[in-house]
Amino acid sequence: MATVTFDAATRIYPKSDRPAVDTLDLEIGDGEFLVLVGPSGCGKSTSLRMLAGLEEIDAGSIRIGDRDVTEAPPKDRDIAMVFQNYALYPHMTVEQNMGFALKIAGVAKDEIGRRVAEAAKILDLEDYLGRRPKALSGGQRQRVAMGRAIVRNPQVFLMDEPLSNLDAKLRVQTRTQIAALQRRLAVTTVYVTHDQVEAMTMGDRVAVLKDGVLQQCDTPGALYDRPANTFVAGFIGSPAMNVVTGPAVDGGIRLAGAVLPVPREKLARAAAGTGKVTVGFRPESLEVAPAGEGVPVVVNVVEQLGSDAFLYATLGADDDGDVLHTADVVVRTEPRTAAAVGQTVHLRVREECLHVFDPVTQLRVD
Amino acid sequence: MTIASDDPRVAAAAAPPPSAPPAPATAARRRRSRLTRNRWGYAYVAPFFVLFAAFSLYPFLYTAYISLHEVRLSDIDGAVFVGFGNYTELLQNEFFWNAARNTLTIGILSTVPQLAIALGLAHLLNYRLRGRTFFRVAMLMPYATSIAAATLVFAQLFGHDYGLINTLLEAVGFDRIDWESGTWTSQIAISVIVTWRWTGYNALIYLAAMQAIPNDLYEAATLDGASRWQQFLHVTVPALKPTILFTIVVSTIGAVQLFGEPLLFSGNGMTSGGVSNQYQTLGLLMYDQGWTNFRLGQAAATAWTMFLIILVVVGIAGLIARRRARAER
Repeated sequence: MATVTFDAATRIYPKSDRPAVDTLDLEIGDGEFLVLVGPSGCGKSTSLRMLAGLEEIDAGSIRIGDRDVTEAPPKDRDIAMVFQNYALYPHMTVEQNMGFALKIAGVAKDEIGRRVAEAAKILDLEDYLGRRPKALSGGQRQRVAMGRAIVRNPQVFLMDEPLSNLDAKLRVQTRTQIAALQRRLAVTTVYVTHDQVEAMTMGDRVAVLKDGVLQQCDTPGALYDRPANTFVAGFIGSPAMNVVTGPAVDGGIRLAGAVLPVPREKLARAAAGTGKVTVGFRPESLEVAPAGEGVPVVVNVVEQLGSDAFLYATLGADDDGDVLHTADVVVRTEPRTAAAVGQTVHLRVREECLHVFDPVTQLRVD
Repeated sequence: MTIASDDPRVAAAAAPPPSAPPAPATAARRRRSRLTRNRWGYAYVAPFFVLFAAFSLYPFLYTAYISLHEVRLSDIDGAVFVGFGNYTELLQNEFFWNAARNTLTIGILSTVPQLAIALGLAHLLNYRLRGRTFFRVAMLMPYATSIAAATLVFAQLFGHDYGLINTLLEAVGFDRIDWESGTWTSQIAISVIVTWRWTGYNALIYLAAMQAIPNDLYEAATLDGASRWQQFLHVTVPALKPTILFTIVVSTIGAVQLFGEPLLFSGNGMTSGGVSNQYQTLGLLMYDQGWTNFRLGQAAATAWTMFLIILVVVGIAGLIARRRARAER
């Protein structure tokens, strides 16, 4: 078990002037499950590969425990990795795949057998030890890849989108299994995914990256409740948070001719430079208000999910045509009383759920 | 049948039930209609098969016919049927066994180092080297060189009095070697020529197969602590097994038919393969029989024997491949 520290770690690919990972500072606690999440090309996989030793570190350093591993070869870092495509050795059986690292390390045969059997039991693979990867289903291959990591009993698990090749149902199932397994083994784990649902459900903490820069690293609840900037606000949560920019007026932001109340102090600070303000509100924090109150929107599409209904709507035109954002708004409502397409609905935001951002820096205003 | 389909697979699947056997007339019509439907396909492949029949299949069968006759080159029409006489005579001929032994030893001496070096070279070329396109093209140069030119140059290198190799040997304190007259030395020299010519070709085949191996396997092996050499043994070689088998078959066929290098090695184009036939291969023996001794029937029998040897080799390789495939299932 060990902590992992990224200390201003930077990776610049050859023939590229923009760093793939830009001065990443990150502390991962002992036994913690940390998820790196972000859109494709955000540097999350590169960060993981830097930790694995598969990518060079151009500046800064990485420590595992107290040991600086910046220059250490992968095999000396005491880590195990689960690859997106599992990277199972096709000509080896499940047993040989799981025991390969121990065999290379010169561990005695019966010891290898014991540890492989133990891991196979945990992962429910005992009946498949003699099979080759080709003869396994996707879910079984995924478990073998996990088993290969477990057998080594490493200080850190690295997982690079290990669920992305599974179908939706199996992914949800495996997600909880991996999370439970990690809690049980209590091994420090760094997990990369582009799926924010995976990130929110699995991680002790979630680090959101964009363009190689760490945006925010916090618990799933804090990311959801207090996103540090508009990017995190829009990335975390499904459907995404509505983020709109409009002119600051007395008491709030003017949207579609109506005024959405914004706390005075936040409004003043956000609108200080430009006279405009950016607000964010989640689909689930919107309420339908009686006509005459709230912000009017026109419903374009209604999605019935059974438990919820989602209205996809457009902000009505402003009096003076000053809508800065071509704002589409998503609203969660009760499925039974959902509005019809084409109808105008008036919306209210529960005040404690309104997020205010600076329209220039995109940063959160508290 | 209510569904009319042009797809032959669908047509087969939708064949009438056993209770109603198809009328022969319908079957014939269907076969004919398939022929006409696919006529352009047949037309496009026809040139190859016409040429193949004229220049490969016919000579092949005619050789079999000749091998059962006593034929003189001077009087091809005066063939006398002798049954398997040519074959029994061949099997009792010490020149045949000598040539077979030479072919085998030269084959081993050239094929084994050739494939081993090719595998190593391919492994090196698979790394991100500066100017690797140059190296890859350079690999193919010996293959693009004519056998005659290459062999004549090598014959010079292996020459007794002024050969570069003997000069070098002398410079480091060894005696000169009469490469051409010794059995082993001449066979080693010929094997060197063959290896030089074919190593690059095989290396490129291995390289192509190596590039199909997913990179994350190497990364996984790196994290598992495998050194470069262990990665080569545990990732590369197993993935290349089918390719290696293929190159073994192709090289063995080439080795059985070895002709140009030993013919030109002595420098005077003698088919005897050295004064004591020390490097006469089956190919040379066949030529010797047909075009030096004018015994075409005997030469044809040798040619067919070589063909049968190749069949056995390919058959063994096929068995190994099938056993491997079954074991992996």
